[in-house]
Parts: sequence; C-alpha cells; structure tokens
Amino acid sequence: MAGISIRNLVKSYGSFTVVPDLSLEIADHEFVVFVGPSGCGKSTLLRIIAGLEPITSGELYIGDKRVNGVPAAQRDIAMVFQDYALYPHMRVYDNMAFALQLRGMPKSDIDSRVRQAAAMLHIEAYLDRKPKELSGGQRQRVAMGRAIVRNPQVFLFDEPLSNLDAKLRAQVRAEIKALSQQLRTTMVFVTHDQIEAMTMADRIVVLQGGVVQQYDTPEVVYERPANQFVAGFIGSPTMNFFAVEWRGDAAVFAADATPAPLDDALGARLRAAAGKAVAGVRPEHFQVVSANASGIPVQIKLVEPLGSDTLIHFEVAGAAAIARVDPSLKPKPGERLFLKPQPGKIHLFDAANGRVLP
Amino acid sequence: MNSTLLSETLIRRLNTAQLVLAGILIMSPTAWMVLSSFKPSFEVTAYPPTLVFSPTLENYVELMQTTPFFSYAVNSLVVTLGSAGLGLLFGIPAAFAVSWTRISWPAVLALAARMAPGTLFLLPWYVMFRQVGMIGSYTALILSHAVITLPIVIWVLLPSFDNIPRSIFEAAQVDGCSITRVLWKIALPLVGSGIAVAAILSFVFSWNYFLFALVLSNGDSKTLIAAAFNFVGEGSTQWGALMAAATLIALPPLVLAAIVQRWLVSGLTLGAVKG
Repeated sequence: MAGISIRNLVKSYGSFTVVPDLSLEIADHEFVVFVGPSGCGKSTLLRIIAGLEPITSGELYIGDKRVNGVPAAQRDIAMVFQDYALYPHMRVYDNMAFALQLRGMPKSDIDSRVRQAAAMLHIEAYLDRKPKELSGGQRQRVAMGRAIVRNPQVFLFDEPLSNLDAKLRAQVRAEIKALSQQLRTTMVFVTHDQIEAMTMADRIVVLQGGVVQQYDTPEVVYERPANQFVAGFIGSPTMNFFAVEWRGDAAVFAADATPAPLDDALGARLRAAAGKAVAGVRPEHFQVVSANASGIPVQIKLVEPLGSDTLIHFEVAGAAAIARVDPSLKPKPGERLFLKPQPGKIHLFDAANGRVLP
Repeated sequence: MNSTLLSETLIRRLNTAQLVLAGILIMSPTAWMVLSSFKPSFEVTAYPPTLVFSPTLENYVELMQTTPFFSYAVNSLVVTLGSAGLGLLFGIPAAFAVSWTRISWPAVLALAARMAPGTLFLLPWYVMFRQVGMIGSYTALILSHAVITLPIVIWVLLPSFDNIPRSIFEAAQVDGCSITRVLWKIALPLVGSGIAVAAILSFVFSWNYFLFALVLSNGDSKTLIAAAFNFVGEGSTQWGALMAAATLIALPPLVLAAIVQRWLVSGLTLGAVKG
C-alpha cells in the first residue's frame, strides 16, 4: 500500500500542454476520484501514474519511490481499463494468473489467489471461459479480478463503468466501493460521471483544462464548491445560475432588476464584489412557498416526474432554471407558484473569474 | 419497380460475365500449361492448339530422366524455407515495432526495396557474394530472397498488430511485461492467422522468384524455377518438359494458396474489449 504524490507535474504533447502545473497528494488507503469533462486531462493523469505516459516535467512518487521514468511493469500498480483489455487468447483463469506467473509465483499460490478473487467477484463459474464468451458485466469483473490478484500498491480505474448499462453500472459501482473498503488499497478512479465520483470517493479531484479546480470530500465539493465550474459540474440537474447586482440598496437580478432573495450577509458579499456576482442555487434547494412569503414568482414551463421527485422547469429573469419539488404537489405546466432558496443554500461567485466570493 | 428489378438483374449478369471473363483470362495460361504437360511433344506446339488429345506422361518421364529434379526441389525448399524463416524472424519484430511506435518510414523503406526491380540489387550482390566466395551457396540465395519475404511479412502483419486494441498491450505492461514480452506473450498469439498468411505468401513468392536464383546459384544450388529455364535452348525449346516442370513447380504454391484462404478469416480478438 502506498500514497501518491504528484509535484509540479507538466504534461505536453509538442506545443500542446494538457496539464500545465499540477500538484496533488493522495493518501495511503484513500479512494480518490478524478472527475471532469472530456479533455480535462483526467485520463492522461491516470496514465501518467500508471507509467503509460511519460512526464514532461515535475515529479511523481508512489509511496517513497520517485517513479519518473520507471516503466509501468515496475510500478506495482494494477489498472482496470475502460474497454477491460482482457487477453483474448487466454481463459479467464489465465487472464487473472498472468501477472503472478510473470513474477514467478508458485503455482499453488497463484491458484489460491485467483480462486479467492474469483469468489470475491462471483466469477468462479467462468474461470475456464475465454473473454469472448462473457457478457460486458462479466468481463468487467474479470478485469477487476485481474487487478485484485496482484495485491498492488495502487489500483487505477480508467472509466471502467462507462460501457455498462445503467442498472449494472449502479451495481458494479456499489461493488467497487465495497471492495475498496474491504481491500483498503489506494485507489484512483477516473470518470466523467459526477454520480460515480460522489458515491465512491473519499476525496474528489475536479479537473478542468488540466488544472485542479477543487480537491476535497464529496460533501464539501457539493456543499461548498470552490468556483462556478465545480458548482455547475457536480450535482444533477446542474446548479441554476443567475446574474445578480446590487442596485441602490437592494440585490436584484441583473437581467430585469426584479428583487433577488439575498439575505444581509449575501448582500454584504455582493457589495464587496463591486456589486456584481453570479448567484447559484441547486434545484433541490428551492422550496415552494406561499405568495406572501417573498418568494420568486415563476411560471412552470415543463414538468419531469422522476417518481421520487418532480423536476419543474421555469425562467427567472430570463434565465432557464430547474427546481426539484415534492411530487405530491402535482405541478402542471403553465401553473404559477412561488419559489424560495433554502436559507444558506445560495452560492455567490465572482462574475469575472467564477471563484466563490469570500 | 420493374425497371429497378431489371437493372438489378442486368447488374448481376454483368457481374457474372465479368467474373467469368476474369477467370478465363487468369486460368487459361495455367490450363494451357497443365494440358501441354500431358500432350505428346509434337502436339504441344501444334497450331491451332489441340484440345482433344491422348494424354501421356512422356514429358514428366523426360523431365525426371534428364534433370536431377528432386535435388533442385530440395534446393528450392531450402532457399524458400530459409528466406521465409528469415523474413519472419526479422519481419515480425519489425512490424510490431512499427505498429508500437507508429513510426512508419522503416516499413515504407522495406516496401520500396520490394518494389524496386530485382536487377537493381543483382549486380552489386553478384559482386559482393563473389568477393566473399558465396556465389552458389544457399546463404547467398536465402539472403537475397529475404528482400522478397521481409516486406511481405512486415506489410501483412502490420495491420494485424494495428488491429489489436492498444489497451491490451498496456494492460500487459501494467501486469509486468517488458515490450519484448508483450510481443511474445500477447501480440504473437493474437496475430497467428496473420503469421500463417505471411509465412505462406513469403513461401509462394520466394519459391517462384526466378532472377536471383538464376544468377546467384550454381549447378548444385540451382532452384527448380531456375533449372526449368534449362529447357529453353538457343535453337529450340523443349516445351513439353518445360510445361511438365512448370506444372510440378506450381503445385506447392497452389496448395498453400488454397490453405491461406482458411486463415484469412479470424475472429481471435473478438471479446477482448468492449462490444
């Protein structure tokens, strides 16, 4: 087991820089998820840790060992690939045993490790099959089994759930989480799916343009996003954003100068930011209030019943917005109602650079 | 509707006619060769050619009596197997390296060597091999024929290696394989059919290559195809024996070419990755 330390890492392809200057500490036993949109550098970073991509400059440590230039074969890491990357000519058993055979481990030890991992992943029945005889979910388990038998210092996962259907994805997600708690090995998991990031991670690294936007626990990333990008990326449906201004002695929506429901503390922060900011409210942080409770008057444009919740689409000061409401309200398109952000659930971001306002 | 059907029928018939025509053009010299080998010598050059004749083995008997046919066959086999083996030995790692590094100029260079006329190499080789006393040796013939086989191996195997998902090689690296081991343990078993095709094509092309053997061999190391040339004299040509020799020489490549077809279809990498 080992932690990972990335220090001032730069990764360029010719004149194109993917990761400009990144430093990151992943603690031993920690489950860290790299999340971000396509092209944010998350997979490149994982491949750098794996030793599949060279570092342009900076340092990378796995445990106490500096591994710049150390081949993947000598890093004692295991990786689960997006496309599983099973060896097609080998049986499941041999796929799992391969790395151990390369290390010259005695046959009896290999056998017990493979069978133990197979039992853990419920794939004992498939050990004699070739990968092409397995379903997507089964192949995914074999790929995990191949990593588990190694008992490596670090597990790396490169979007391993993206090829599974929604139901299976949820199931395997839970299994990986359980596995991480059972194995207590350092794990780095790459995904573009923020639900995977939120549900599995001890800490999340939100990346954009090769730059760490926020590195914290899922709760903090969700509750106190560091900037507008993180606020918009984490959470589904995404956070609603409205341009707000301080005009005269009140906060208003910039688009139509109607009153914005900011309390005194938020008003002070808005004034401190030269009177201009972006307010963010998550769909689940709106509450439906009565007409006299100083809520924002809205007209429902679209209703999406999800069963457990209902999403209503509406406009506030010309900006499209979504709120998650109780399905017992039975909202209807065209209906008018009053919405109010829950106390303490409005986020204010700098209008120029998107950073959260202090 | 009717016009569509009509044009479809017409297209199908034209396709068939085209295939039949191509088949006749390709097969008629071969058929002429085989039939001539069974004709009495006076009928081989008869004009117009006779299609009905009493088949005879006299040409084959003459061939066996006047030439050490089996010695030449052994020579051909040694040179062909040697050069095909040499081509595979160097071509497999070369193709893998080109695929791995995505640096393609060495493969293009090898292809250029194959496309250049053989006479371009022949004179320098003749001088070089004569200086080191290797004219007439198997080694000289095997080395020269490797120019034929090496590009074949590289260019047949290159797409096979390219078709293996990169992640499989990366998984092997993460599992602890050096690049050599990736080639040996992972890539090679996955391109088995490509290797078979490359080996057989190398064999066929080397077996049939005439020019180098004609100049670089001697009486002891002459290959079949060069030996067959002996039947072409300055004043007269023994067409019957020549056709018998040509028929026998054509047999191994024909058999191998038939085998290749079985290997061309392969689904080995199926199931390795998603989908």
